[in-house]
Amino acid sequence: MSVLTPTQPNQGLDGPPRPTARRVGFSQRLGRWDVKLSPYLYISPFFILFAVTGLFPLAYTAFVSVHEWNLLGGQGEFVGFQNFVDVLAQPTFWKSLRNTFSIFVLSSVPQVICAIIIAALLDQNLRAATFWRMGVLLPYVVAPIAVSLIFGRLFADQYGLINGLLGVIGVDPIRWHADAFASHVAIASMVNFRWTGYNALIFLAAMQAVPRELYEAAIIDGAGRFRQFFSVTVPQIRATIIFVIITSTIGGLQIFDEVRAFDAQGLGGADRQWMTTVLYLYDVAWGNQKNFGRAAAIAWILFIVILLIGLVNFAITRSISTSGPSKKAPRAVQRARRKAAAAAVRAQNASRQRTGTPPRRPSAPTGAPNERKKR
Amino acid sequence: MSSIPVVAQTAGAGAARAAARRPNRRPVRKGTGGYTRRPGWVTYTVLGLVLLVSVFPLYFTIILGSSTPEAISKDALPQLLPDMSLFTQFAEVVGSSAINFWKAFTNSVIIAVITSLSVVLFSTLAGYSFAKLRFRGRGPLLVFVIATMAVPTQLGVIPMFILMSDLGWIGKLQAVIVPSLVTAFGVFWMTQYLSESLPFELIEAARVDGASMFRTFWSIALPAARPAAAMLGLFTFVQQWTNFFWPSIVLNQENPTLPLVVRSLQANYFVDYSLVMAGVFLVTLPLIVLFIFTGRQLVAGIMQGAVKG
Amino acid sequence: MLSSTRSTRSRTTVAVAGLATLALTLTACSSGSGGSDDDTAAGGKITLTVATFNDFGYTQELLDAYTAEHPDVEVKQTKAAKAEDARTNMTTKLAAGGEGLADIEAIEVDWLPELMEYPDLFTDLADPALDGRWVDWKVQQATTTDGKVIGYGTDIGPSAICYRGDLFEAAGLPSDPAAVAELLGGADATWDDYFAAGTAFKAAGGGAWYDSAMSIYQGMVNQIDNAYEESDGTPKDLSTNTEIQDIYTTVVEQSTTNGLSAGLEQWSPDWDAAFQNNGFATMICPAWMTGPVEERSGGVTGWNVADVFPGGGLNWGGSFLTVPASGKNAEAAKELAAWLTDPAQQTTAFENAGTFPSQIEAQESEAVQTFTNDFFNAAPVGSIFVNRALAIDGAPFKGANYFSIHQTVQDAIKRVDVEKTDEAKASWDKAVQAFKDLGLS
Repeated sequence: MSVLTPTQPNQGLDGPPRPTARRVGFSQRLGRWDVKLSPYLYISPFFILFAVTGLFPLAYTAFVSVHEWNLLGGQGEFVGFQNFVDVLAQPTFWKSLRNTFSIFVLSSVPQVICAIIIAALLDQNLRAATFWRMGVLLPYVVAPIAVSLIFGRLFADQYGLINGLLGVIGVDPIRWHADAFASHVAIASMVNFRWTGYNALIFLAAMQAVPRELYEAAIIDGAGRFRQFFSVTVPQIRATIIFVIITSTIGGLQIFDEVRAFDAQGLGGADRQWMTTVLYLYDVAWGNQKNFGRAAAIAWILFIVILLIGLVNFAITRSISTSGPSKKAPRAVQRARRKAAAAAVRAQNASRQRTGTPPRRPSAPTGAPNERKKR
Repeated sequence: MSSIPVVAQTAGAGAARAAARRPNRRPVRKGTGGYTRRPGWVTYTVLGLVLLVSVFPLYFTIILGSSTPEAISKDALPQLLPDMSLFTQFAEVVGSSAINFWKAFTNSVIIAVITSLSVVLFSTLAGYSFAKLRFRGRGPLLVFVIATMAVPTQLGVIPMFILMSDLGWIGKLQAVIVPSLVTAFGVFWMTQYLSESLPFELIEAARVDGASMFRTFWSIALPAARPAAAMLGLFTFVQQWTNFFWPSIVLNQENPTLPLVVRSLQANYFVDYSLVMAGVFLVTLPLIVLFIFTGRQLVAGIMQGAVKG
Repeated sequence: MLSSTRSTRSRTTVAVAGLATLALTLTACSSGSGGSDDDTAAGGKITLTVATFNDFGYTQELLDAYTAEHPDVEVKQTKAAKAEDARTNMTTKLAAGGEGLADIEAIEVDWLPELMEYPDLFTDLADPALDGRWVDWKVQQATTTDGKVIGYGTDIGPSAICYRGDLFEAAGLPSDPAAVAELLGGADATWDDYFAAGTAFKAAGGGAWYDSAMSIYQGMVNQIDNAYEESDGTPKDLSTNTEIQDIYTTVVEQSTTNGLSAGLEQWSPDWDAAFQNNGFATMICPAWMTGPVEERSGGVTGWNVADVFPGGGLNWGGSFLTVPASGKNAEAAKELAAWLTDPAQQTTAFENAGTFPSQIEAQESEAVQTFTNDFFNAAPVGSIFVNRALAIDGAPFKGANYFSIHQTVQDAIKRVDVEKTDEAKASWDKAVQAFKDLGLS
C-alpha cells in the first residue's frame, strides 16, 4: 500500500559508497545496520505507544463485545456474536448509520472544498499574512460553550435568529430540530464552522511547499489563475488532499459533540432523526441501558464501516488525482519540476563547497524518478 | 533566493541570513501574475468575510464577559463593545477560592508543551521514515497507523482508565500526557507532507556525503518539515489546551487543567454566563499569543517552500 | 560528514528537545507528589474527598468545621459543573473497578434505579441512630428491598407552581399568591383545575399556559406509584398500560388541541428565549428551579410562587451522598456523610446555595422557614416549599427499566408537542413500538 504516499522511495536499502576507505569493515557494517534499522527505529515510538495505550483498549473492547456486560455490573456470560446480531436488528442502529452518512456528506464535502479555496486565497503574497492565516483557525480554538451558545440561538426553532430573518422576508420557519434533513444541515454547519479553517491551514502548509518555479513556468505557458491551481497546485499537494479526505472521513463518521449538544436531551431528537452512530453507542453504554457489551459491538461495527468507507474514499481520490489534471500539466511545468529538483541539489553541493566539503554528484539520476514514476 | 534555505540547512542560519541580505539576487517581477504579486480586492473581501465569521465567537465571548448576567438574559448581544468590567471578571476568575487557577494554568502549559514537542518530533521521524525510506512492511504498517484513527474513542475510555489506574497515574499529569505523546494523525500528516515536499535528491546528496541516517533526518528532513511541524505543533497544542473529557475523568480538582476549572465556573443553579465567558476568554488568550508566534513560522514556510522540489 | 550543519539552529533544536525531556522528568516528579490519591498523610491524618456537582452548598468553611471537630481528617471537595459530567465520571470509574472514585460521591435521585441494581458497589449506610432524620420517602428511595441504604439524602425538589403575576393580571386573573393558589384548586387541587384555569387564561387572551408538555407529563407520572413497573420490578407492557396512556392523552390534548403548551423543551435555547418573550404564564417549580428561572428572566419582574400543586405533592429531583465500597476509608467517609447530611449542616447548605433540605428538622428551622426570594416578588419560598414537601406522601417505584420506558413516552410527547411531526395516536404507536424494541417482555 505504498500508494498512500504517491512517491516511491528509491534509496535507503543500499548505502552509497563511503567517502573514505579507512576502517572499512566496521563502519560499513555499522552503516548497513544504520540503513536497515533506522526506518523501524523512527516509526517505533508510535507503535510502542500504541502497544501500551491502544492495543489493550482494543482487545478489551473486543472481549466485552462477545459477552453480556452491564456497565456497572461487569462481565456476564459469554454470548458469542449475539451482541452483534442484536445491534444489527435494532432499527435505531440503521437510522443512526443513515444519519451519520448524511451528516458526514453534508459536512465533509463543502468543508474540503471551502478549505482548499481558502487555502489557495491565503497562499498568496498577502499583506499581514499571519493575521489572515491565524484568523481562520479561530473557530477551532474558541471554547465549545461559546460556539454552542451562538449556534443554539441561530438554530432555535421558535425564537432563533435564522427563522426570525426568514420571517422578515416572509419565508416559513425551518424546523431545525424536527426535520431530519434540516437538523443534519444545522449540525453539519456547526461541524464545518469548527473544521474548515483547520483543514485550510493544512492545505496551506502543503501549498507553501510547492516550488514557486512551477508557477513561473505555468505562467510562461500562459496559464491563468485557475489553470495554475488545477495543473500545478492540485497535483502537487495530492498527498495532502488524500490526507485531508481520509482524516475528515474518519472524523466525520465519528461526529459526536455537536450532535449531543444539539438539543437538551442529547439523544438525537424524539424520532432519533439526527442520532449518529457514535451517539447511539454512547447512549447504549452510558444511557439508560448501560449495555456495555452491545456498545462494544457497535464500536467494532462502526470501526469496520469507517475502514470500508475510508478505503472507498481513498480509491476514488487516488483515481481522480492520478488520472486527473496532472496529465494536462503544461510541459514547461514538468520541465520546471525536474529543474527545481536538480537546482536544489546543486545548491546544496555549492554550499558544501563553500564550507570545504568536496562536491559530489549524487549517485542517482538528477531527475525526479519518483515524479516520473507516478505519471 | 532559491538557494538561501538550502544554505540555511547546510551552512547554518547565519549564512542563510547573510545570503538573504545580498540585495537584488532576484529582481521583483512586476505584472507577471505570479505568486509574488499582491492579490486584488476580491481575495481580501472573501477572506474578510471568512474572518468575520471566524472571529465572531471570540467577540461574542468578550461581550458576554463584559456584561451583567441580567443583560445577557435580556439581549442576544447585550452591548456592542467590551468594557473594563471584563478585567474585573478576570480578577474574579483568577482569584476565586473555589478554583485553582494558577495550578491549572501550569498544568495546561506542561501538558500542551510536552505533547506538542513530542508529537512533532516523533511524527516527523515516523513520517520521514514512511515517506522517504524503504523497509519491509512499510505499506501495511502505514495502513495500520491510519486504521487506528478509525477506532471510536468513546469506548476506549473505560479500558484506558483501567490501564491508568493500574499504573497508579490517576490524578497525575502522566495520565493525560502519555497517551498523547505521538498520534496517528501526526504520523500520517508528516508522511504525506514529506512525501511531496522533500525531494529525494536532497537526501541522497546528504547520504552520498556520508551522513548517517539520523544526521540526514536531522539536517535535511527536519528543516524541510518546518511549516508542517509548526502546524502540527499548533494543532496539538490547541487540542490539548482545550481538551476537556479525558482530563475530567483522570484528573481532579486538586490537579486540574484549565478547561476543568473553567467548566466548574458553571457549577451553580444560577449560571453566571458573564463570569463563565470571562473565564473562557481568559483561557483562550494564551492561544492567541501562541498564534502570533506560530503564524510567523508558517509565513517563513514560504521561503522554505521556494526551493523545495 | 556534514559537520557544517552544526549550526545555531540545530543547537537550539537540541536545546528544545533537552528541555522537553527535562520537563517530562519534572512532571513525573512533581505530579507524583501532587496526586491526591495518598489517603494517609503524615501523622495518621486522613484526607477524605467529596465529589459533588452543581452547588451542594458545601463551602470550604463548612468542610473546615468538620476538621475542627475531627483534627485527624481533612476534607477536600471536587465539584463537577453539571450532573451529567459527574454521572459519566462516576459511571466510568465504577465500570473500571472503582479506582479513583471519591470517598463520598454525590448522586442524583434519577441515577438510583440503575445503581440499586448493584448495591455491593456501595457501603451500606443504614444506621438506626439516624432514624427520623429525613422525610420517610427520601430514605425509602435509597433503600434496597433487603434494607440496605446506599445514600444519605441531601436536598429534595418539592414542587410548587411558579407563575407570572403580570400576565395573570393582563388576562384579568387574580395575581396575588393566595388567590392564585385558590384559582388553581387550593389544598385539594387537581390537574383538571389546573388545565381549566389555563383554558380561562387562554380565553381571556393570554398566551400559552405552561412551558412544556413533557414537564407536565413528568409531574403527573411521578404521582403514580407504579407507573411502568410492578413493585417487584417487572415491566408493564406499555401497549396495555391504560393508566399511562390516559395521562398521555390528557397531556397531549390539553397541550396541543387546547393550546395550553408553549411547545418547548426545557433547557433548550427556545425555552431560554421564551422567558424573555412572555412565552408562557406558569410552570412546575421544584425548589431548585428558582435559580434557573431567575437566570433567564433578566428584566422580567412578574414571577411569583403559588403554594399549591395539582394532584397532590410532587418531588422532582434531589440528591444523595454515597460511599463507594472501593474506598479505603469507608468508615470515616460514612461518618462524614452522616455529618454533612445532619440538619444543622444542611440548613447551612441551604443558606449557601438554596438546596432545599430533606431533613425534617432542617425544614423546621428558622433559616428555612423565613426564607424569601426577592426575585419572585419576595415570595416566602422557604415556607411554601416546606408546605409542598408535606404534601408529598411517598416516592413512586422506579425499577431498573423505569427510565428506558419513560423515555419512549417522553419521546412520543416531544413528537407531538415540540417537534410537531406526529398526531397523538401515531406518536403513541411509535412509543409502543419503541417499547417493544427495548426487548423487555
